[in-house]
Amino acid sequence: MVKIKMPKVQEALAVTPALPPERAAPSPAEGVPPSDFVIRIRNLNLWYDGTPALHDVTLDLPRCKVTAFIGPSGCGKSTLLRCLNRLNDLIDGVRMSGSIHVSGQDIYDPFVDVTELRKRVGMVFQKSNPFPKSIFENVAYGPRIHGVRNRSDLDAIVQKSLERAGLWNEAKDRLNRNALELSGGQQQRLCIARALAVDPEILLMDEPCSALDPVSTAHIEELFFDLKTRYTIVLVTHNMQQAARASDRTAFLLQGRLVEVGSTRDMFTNPRKSETQDYITGRFG
Amino acid sequence: MTEASISRRWRRRTDLLARWVVRAGGMAIIASVLGIFVFILIEVAPLFRRARAASAPEVPVPPTFLLAGVDETEELAFGISAPGRVEFIPLTEREAPAATELPGFSGRTPTCVFRPLREEEIDVGTADGRLVTASVRFRVGFGEATEDWRSSRTITPETSEPTVLQLDPQEKPLQAVARQSDSRGLVAAAITEDKRLVYLCVLEKKTLMGGVKRTEHRADLTGELPAAPTALTIDGSLENIYVGTAAGHVVHFDIRDLDAPRKVGFDTVRAAGSTPVTAMALLIGDQSLVVGEESGALSVWFQVDDAASSTGKALRRIREFPSHPAAVTAIAPSARDKGFATGDRAGRVRVHHSTSGRTLLSLEGDGSAVTQLVMTPRATGLLALHESGRISRWRIDNPHPEITLQTLFGKVWYEGYNEPAYSWQSGGGTDDFEPKFSLTPLIFGTLKGTVYALLIAVPIAILAAIYTAQFMHPDLRNLIKPTIEVMAALPSVVLGFLAGLWLAPAMERYMPAVLLMLIGIPASTLLALGAWLLLPSRLRGRSRGRLEIVLLMPVLVLAGAACFALGGPLERALFGGDFQQWWYETTGLTYDQRNAVVVGIAMGFAVIPIIFTISEDALSNVPRHLVSGSLALGATRWQTAVRVVLPTASPGIFSAIMIGFGRVVGETMIVLMATGNTPIMEWNLFNGFRTLSANIAVEIPEAPHGGTLYRILFLGALLLFAATFLVNTAAEMVRMRMRARYARL
Repeated sequence: MVKIKMPKVQEALAVTPALPPERAAPSPAEGVPPSDFVIRIRNLNLWYDGTPALHDVTLDLPRCKVTAFIGPSGCGKSTLLRCLNRLNDLIDGVRMSGSIHVSGQDIYDPFVDVTELRKRVGMVFQKSNPFPKSIFENVAYGPRIHGVRNRSDLDAIVQKSLERAGLWNEAKDRLNRNALELSGGQQQRLCIARALAVDPEILLMDEPCSALDPVSTAHIEELFFDLKTRYTIVLVTHNMQQAARASDRTAFLLQGRLVEVGSTRDMFTNPRKSETQDYITGRFG
Repeated sequence: MTEASISRRWRRRTDLLARWVVRAGGMAIIASVLGIFVFILIEVAPLFRRARAASAPEVPVPPTFLLAGVDETEELAFGISAPGRVEFIPLTEREAPAATELPGFSGRTPTCVFRPLREEEIDVGTADGRLVTASVRFRVGFGEATEDWRSSRTITPETSEPTVLQLDPQEKPLQAVARQSDSRGLVAAAITEDKRLVYLCVLEKKTLMGGVKRTEHRADLTGELPAAPTALTIDGSLENIYVGTAAGHVVHFDIRDLDAPRKVGFDTVRAAGSTPVTAMALLIGDQSLVVGEESGALSVWFQVDDAASSTGKALRRIREFPSHPAAVTAIAPSARDKGFATGDRAGRVRVHHSTSGRTLLSLEGDGSAVTQLVMTPRATGLLALHESGRISRWRIDNPHPEITLQTLFGKVWYEGYNEPAYSWQSGGGTDDFEPKFSLTPLIFGTLKGTVYALLIAVPIAILAAIYTAQFMHPDLRNLIKPTIEVMAALPSVVLGFLAGLWLAPAMERYMPAVLLMLIGIPASTLLALGAWLLLPSRLRGRSRGRLEIVLLMPVLVLAGAACFALGGPLERALFGGDFQQWWYETTGLTYDQRNAVVVGIAMGFAVIPIIFTISEDALSNVPRHLVSGSLALGATRWQTAVRVVLPTASPGIFSAIMIGFGRVVGETMIVLMATGNTPIMEWNLFNGFRTLSANIAVEIPEAPHGGTLYRILFLGALLLFAATFLVNTAAEMVRMRMRARYARL
């Protein structure tokens, strides 16, 4: 059962809610005006069956940048990611407080249409999870459930999405083959294409490369550079090098607390906290 | 030896042992299934074995001998010879009992002999137009107790004082004679040498004084015949006389008024080029008339409904048998079944079966014409008296003459039926009943039961599984699923008992209410859900599948109650106050209390748990990440269930349905108790049927070991076995293919 702290209605409907002064974003990125923070997380606490998993997380994520969540296993980075598209709703015994605004809208407001939210906030999972259907049907799945029926529209969406996910050249001759025949890296790119097909603003990536070989990983990391021109990307990763290579900003979580957030370059060259230093240099984790 | 190597050897041994134990277990399972299959096959196979005959040594007979019969133990043949002696001819290595003089003959020459089936009397026609009737009985005794009881057995014939009737007033020699009697008296008819047909009926009435009043009625029926008579027979119920003529007519006389025989009509044997009728006999039961002709043609006739006839019935030729190459001269019906033997002028003998329309055996005699033919009382032997004065003998092994693929699965024209039909009626009260062994109505019944049960079970079980796996709150699911699984443990005899004794009468009484519920319950559910959607989403959003179902319960109960309340008025308004009557008048179909709907519900109830639980497992086992993937794209839970979960779980659901199918096909107790077991072939919702499985249960007490019915029941078991085996194999193959598609998930 999700317990949601009810915000006041006018606050929920406000396009730019006034942030509580004492909880201002701890470290806004240099050169990013506050209105460009597309996701604003405030005082987020989350418990699984009474066990705290996130503790008072307050964090802003800028538009059209790659933000990486790093931290040791069980630090809550995936949980935080899943809060952003309310996928935690499915898990029993989750209770949370605090608020998350996506493009100014409180996504935990009871009036929010969750399916509409998830259309705006796409997600790619750790394990590639194509449906046991054809490549075409996988990509067309999202548009179809959102009401696109016209075949030529679907064709166009499928092609565009596969192109953006860098899979079009490999897949265009076998769109009707079962998606499960693709290699692991191709399957993950198919999942990205599938997420892109519903035209989201934000892409959540939950360790998208952890099950892939280095070549496929490089392929997907290259994709981030193309994708971030259009989408805000939130990347959960275990891999320090990946965070360093692919992200613009990095947030470090430890035991459910946000330890530090800043530009990736600063974090990796000059961390402010000693825990960050220890983690990224490999002393623990 | 080091400790390590001992441990390694020990490990290798246990590994080997375990491997062999597992392998033996697997083999034992395969072997036992195959063993059952082979055993059933062994029991069924004799049904289709060809009849066999073994020729026994010929026996010579005295001159002017007329063969009359054989005793029950097949050791003595007997007949009559001039000048009126009953002669006994030993068929085994034993001495013949002395011949007995029949006093009534007083030197007259016997000319023909007739013996009603299964009676002890023999009737002999004489050269001076008399009918001499005497009984020949065999008393079986056992002498000194010896090792071999057979050799110590003695068979003593006893002949009674004969009765003598002057059948032909003109005292001409009789060529053919027939006689039947019952409690009312005696009817006899004969064809004389000068081609007259004479009829005599002797009625005996007990008078008040305790005496017996005898009246005789004579008739000369020659004038009624279209041509000279050649063969005749009388049925045992004293209703019909059939006469064959030299011009190929079969003439039918109605003698129900015993003192006034009346011609009903006649039919010609052949439309063109008719040949004389040379032999005629009634099969056991006196329904089927076998007619043999000069040309060798052979046919079976019986009466069917005919509005144009004065008796409402008309004699019709029903089936033909392959022609003998020479004239048919003798016909011997079997005393056991609808089989008969025929002999021809060239000395050949054939054995046929009327129901199956098959000629079972073709035997060569000694080349001279067969004058008389006798089947032994147990139908295991055949004796043909040839013109040469010798008797050819055969032992016949023919335990299942009526079974062919046609009689098992096709339409057969049974005695008393107006047309060929599929019919199952394994036995009547007596031996002269024609058994009807068509498995088609039973296969049909099995299919009908299966279809109705699955129509009810599959939608409910699968929808319930989808709801439970995808929408229900896990706490509730953990309660519901075991509960439904407990339903599967309910013995089917309890379900059948409830269905037959409670549900069937209740449904008969409240049928309009039940029909109303079919519409009312889904409609009220939809209405309730519509109302639920109108509630503020704040209230709705928090229940997450727990509250809806609780709220739905009273709605369903109320809807059910409302349907029952409205059932009566509805019946009065739409069905004229009596649904069964209305149904009969509107559709022309009957309403049975124990019907397919009742069985469908009861059997559906029996298979819902198994279909539900396997489908639910399949649906729950769809990888979580597929569901998440779909939801993360913004799909609703319903879209996810229908577009991702259901297709992915389809192999499991398919196998659930197939397992349910297998269970329904083999289900016995419910159909036994709730169908009425009527082997009819109609899709009518409201009448019963009989399934192969229930048939086995119903007929077992009637089936003696090794008999035809016994083997046919095994054939039914084989069909069930094969059906479930094939369906399961096909299901497994489909499932494997589907699973291979999803294997990489």
